[in-house]
Amino acid sequence: MCSLEEMTLLRLEEAFLAMLAHVGSSILQPLLLAGPEHSEPWARECLCLLQQLHRSSEQLQEVTEQSLQSLQKRLHQPCTAGLESLLMLGSADRILQVYMEYIESYTSCMVVQVFQQVAKRKSRYWRVQFGLLQKHLPGMSFEGPVDAVLAQALRQPLVQHLQQCVLLLLQLRDGLGKSHPAQELVTQAITLYGNLQSFLQQALDQATATQALWHSLSSRLKDALCTPTRRLLQDSQDVPMTATPLRAERVLLFDDALVLLQGPAVHTFDLRLLWVRPRRHECTFCVLTPEEEFSLSARDPLGRAVWQWKVSRAVSQALRGKKDFPVLGAGPAPSEPPACRSVAYTFSAEGRLCQATYEGEWCLARPHGKGTLKWPDGRHHVGNFRWGLEHGFGIYLVPKATEDQFDCYKCHWQEGSMCGYGICEYGSEEVYKGYFRAGLRHGFGVLDSAPQAPQPFRYTGHWEQDQRSGYGVQEDSSRGERYIGEWQANQRHGLGVVVTQAGVCYQGTFQADKMVGPGILLSEDDSMYEGTFTRDLTFEGKGKITFPNGFTLEGSFSSGAGRGLYTQSVLDTAALPPDPSSTHKRQLGVGALPVESRWRGVYTPFWDFAHAGCPGELQEALLGFQVQSSRELRRSQERGSPEDAAGGTEAFLEDLLRPRQPAALRRHLGEALSAAWHPLGKLLRTLMLTFQATYAGIGANKHLQGLAQEEVKQHARELWAAYRGLLQVALQHKGQALEDEDAETRDQRVHGLMLPLVLPSFYSELFTLYLLLHEREDGLYSQGISSLSVFPDTKLLELLDVHKHLWPLKDLRLTSNQRSSLVRDKCFLSATECLQKIITTVDPREKLEVLEKTYLEIEATVSRVLGREHKLPMDDLLPLLVYVVSRARIQHLGAEIHLIRDMMDPVHTGGRYDFLLTALESCYQHIQKEDVRLHRLPGHWDLRDLR
Amino acid sequence: MAIRELKVCLLGDTGVGKSSIVCRFVQDHFDHNISPTIGASFMTKTVPCGNELHKFLIWDTAGQERFHSLAPMYYRGSAAAVIVYDITKQDSFHTLKKWVKELKEHGPENIVMAIAGNKCDLSDIREVPLKDAKDYAESIGAVVVETSAKHAINIEELFQGISRQIPPLDPLEKGNNGAICMHGGKPPAQARRCC
Ligand SMILES: Nc1nc2c(ncn2[C@@H]2O[C@H](COP(=O)(O)OP(=O)(O)O)[C@@H](O)[C@H]2O)c(=O)[nH]1
Ligand SMILES: [Mg+2]
Repeated sequence: MCSLEEMTLLRLEEAFLAMLAHVGSSILQPLLLAGPEHSEPWARECLCLLQQLHRSSEQLQEVTEQSLQSLQKRLHQPCTAGLESLLMLGSADRILQVYMEYIESYTSCMVVQVFQQVAKRKSRYWRVQFGLLQKHLPGMSFEGPVDAVLAQALRQPLVQHLQQCVLLLLQLRDGLGKSHPAQELVTQAITLYGNLQSFLQQALDQATATQALWHSLSSRLKDALCTPTRRLLQDSQDVPMTATPLRAERVLLFDDALVLLQGPAVHTFDLRLLWVRPRRHECTFCVLTPEEEFSLSARDPLGRAVWQWKVSRAVSQALRGKKDFPVLGAGPAPSEPPACRSVAYTFSAEGRLCQATYEGEWCLARPHGKGTLKWPDGRHHVGNFRWGLEHGFGIYLVPKATEDQFDCYKCHWQEGSMCGYGICEYGSEEVYKGYFRAGLRHGFGVLDSAPQAPQPFRYTGHWEQDQRSGYGVQEDSSRGERYIGEWQANQRHGLGVVVTQAGVCYQGTFQADKMVGPGILLSEDDSMYEGTFTRDLTFEGKGKITFPNGFTLEGSFSSGAGRGLYTQSVLDTAALPPDPSSTHKRQLGVGALPVESRWRGVYTPFWDFAHAGCPGELQEALLGFQVQSSRELRRSQERGSPEDAAGGTEAFLEDLLRPRQPAALRRHLGEALSAAWHPLGKLLRTLMLTFQATYAGIGANKHLQGLAQEEVKQHARELWAAYRGLLQVALQHKGQALEDEDAETRDQRVHGLMLPLVLPSFYSELFTLYLLLHEREDGLYSQGISSLSVFPDTKLLELLDVHKHLWPLKDLRLTSNQRSSLVRDKCFLSATECLQKIITTVDPREKLEVLEKTYLEIEATVSRVLGREHKLPMDDLLPLLVYVVSRARIQHLGAEIHLIRDMMDPVHTGGRYDFLLTALESCYQHIQKEDVRLHRLPGHWDLRDLR
Repeated sequence: MAIRELKVCLLGDTGVGKSSIVCRFVQDHFDHNISPTIGASFMTKTVPCGNELHKFLIWDTAGQERFHSLAPMYYRGSAAAVIVYDITKQDSFHTLKKWVKELKEHGPENIVMAIAGNKCDLSDIREVPLKDAKDYAESIGAVVVETSAKHAINIEELFQGISRQIPPLDPLEKGNNGAICMHGGKPPAQARRCC
């Protein structure tokens, strides 16, 4: 059942289709064939526009035909096909799209006056065509100039058709009745076609105005500005507007650009990079663009309002890249264009950014957010920007003279320059990892030479203004030497210690990379030279050699023509042989290189961060990139918010306030120190780096043990202070203050809490130094141990004068053919096994606890043997302990004992831990004694008996 | 009240009564829980002294001759040494003199020496006259007292004597780890280390 209105619609579509066909064949096709002369410069463009118009027209026919078919189908089968099957209703959007395209193509032709150009020739021919067309386009006048008739013939059918459609659809709706299910569908279609009419009207008006503008402008200006798609939206000749400080005499707002005409100069501003800001003054508003900022002033507030509204809408429209529908300012867009946008732009003004292209996010006319900046000379910055400057993490490439070579900075930036942690891979293949300030290496950093460099080096230390300065360690692997000490302007300058691959090491004063004045040189045989010498270790000038046996040679030295050493000096053989352990253990650098100032620069970025109140945005710059990756990781896991940056510091500051009890605090500190994203963790990792750079490899030299051990303790002190610094910030955030800490409590925390936590990080290098330092005694001790190990238990007990009543003979379980006197490694087994655990821990306190447990095991065994509690006096305890130590056979016991003693909390001095450690040490000494080592034992022992 | 820890080491022949003296000194005094002992080898006792508390950290030593050479490890860092002889054994007084000599030469500077002539309950078999001990002590500036661990005579007094001799508090100088000073710095306070 099909309504009368639908029948009429069908007729209408039929007629429209016919009209389009006629216009197509009588006008469009001939237009394409008889296009403008090719010789004319704009001919190509005209042809393109006409082809475009032709295509749009064909699409229009196609869609009309489909619409017609849908109407016919419903006419024949009204039951199966509902109203929604009509293309006009069900797919109105598609029709709309095609219509709009046609309107675009048509107005583009209008604007550049395609029809005038075409009509200039063959007007006769066109008159004939018009005659043919007349009967198919009723109600259209074919009088007037040819170009006007052509234009009208291409427009009129559409205009009429839209009008009639709207009318018929209105009738259709009225006929449906209020409750009809298709009511809404039809109403929508009516709105749509109505809007399309408005769109058409505005498009035609804009095209007419634009065409008139081009007509009125000088050809130079027209050539500069005219494009087929550009439309004039506002002209200062219609609503007056002046620009300051640019003093333009005319302001033109197009749909893609704002243009200021100032004498011969034309300033064109891309609307996508144009921001409108209101001004206090009611007739003025402000325009921001990447390189210009100006005010536009109208005569009156109304004029200002019109212009400001239009500019804003035009900006929004340009950013969307699609015409507002149905008219400018309508549609889904927010009322104001967004402040932040993503656009590419090439700067032209003189200065840092001249000719550079920025592609990325903008805010208020300045690069802001993520983006890429490319300079014509090949420099390249990818990263974060803030208000026009590099800020936050960024990667910066600087090409070098040689092709394919770049300095690549991966760094944190602050207001346009590198600041904070970064890595630079230089074109020369050198690599720097460390801190920057104001674009230069500054603070702490590690510089590695190119792997293939003729003189490879690694510098780990402080920098100032891009140069090595302050305390630093440089390894020169080709020379096989490492300098540990003070620097200035990239040169060794001040006090320094040099260790060599060969094991020789010396200490001296340097100036401009050269050693000046006397130094101290320790050679591997433990002789010492005090005096002047060269970098090649030739003695020259006054000096004194102290030999390991105590003899001295004092006088002047020089190197002869050959390789020999010449000297005029006095040999003093009167000195008593010195204590071998003191000559053996001479230490370099201690006192000369004050431990408090050694690695200051490592802490500087941390304290800058803490004193600034731990702002989230500086956290990444302090920690380096790990934080970014770990945060990204977390983000992906818990779809975090972009405000996380602040949450990072908030979170760890919050955490700091939680633990109060020692055990919880210990756990918390342990986690913080091992976390990549925690400032304390970063500090510890950097300190480990410095420690390895100094004391691993060539630096594993016994004469550096003193430097190393005081450094570890200093690190614990500094890290405790750093923790307190963070705690203070955390409390400040809560409006509270950190209570002061007296020296005693501090020492207690440093040794009792912090040192055990940080010691594992330095242990391997540190222990190696102790090992080397005590190598000789440990060797003697090993001999002692192995010589005692041949004795069976009871014989050893007797030998050590352990009172017989204390012998744990009950512990000996014998098989039938064993004699108790031959059993080995059975007595005091529990104590022995306990003592062996001393090497399984790092914490000095835990080691001391092991020692205490060992004592308790001995006491327990003795009490068991005696059948009563027994408090051992030293006369009994010491021999028993010697027995247990000799059976435990701990390697490098001397290194262990001294490390424990140096790292032990000083509160234990004189206390029971100290006592036990001293007892252990005295056993160690005793075992080294000649009579033990060389079996010069009391006469009644004949070793042959024992085997 | 400020607690001051004082390390005290016991020296003297085996059998003169070192352990007995300390056991007597600390016996009716139970701060064992707070600062556990190491058998009878390491004990502590806190006693008031003026406006301070003196906590004695008492280190026993093995008296056997073979361990003598280890003694420096025990007396290093001591504030005081209690050197004990048996008034019934002339030999033990002789050994005492050797200890005093060693301490003068190698012991910590300003170490307070206290001489205890033990077993004074056995004065009938005395071999060492009190006067000898007094004269000797005076000559070396040491505290001297005759004690009996058995009858608890003069034990408290012995330690009170030490307390009185302890000089007023001043910051402890830490030993130098054998570092070499280059710039005319002071030579290490302790010229040698025993280990
Ligand atoms: N008569 C008596 N005997 C004592 C006295 N002090 C200790 N003894 C005894 O002397 C022996 C050795 O004592 P001890 O304290 O083990 O001497 P140490 O080797 O110096 O520690 C033990 O038998 C004690 O009973 C005392 O004041 N008077
Ligand atoms: Mg004893």
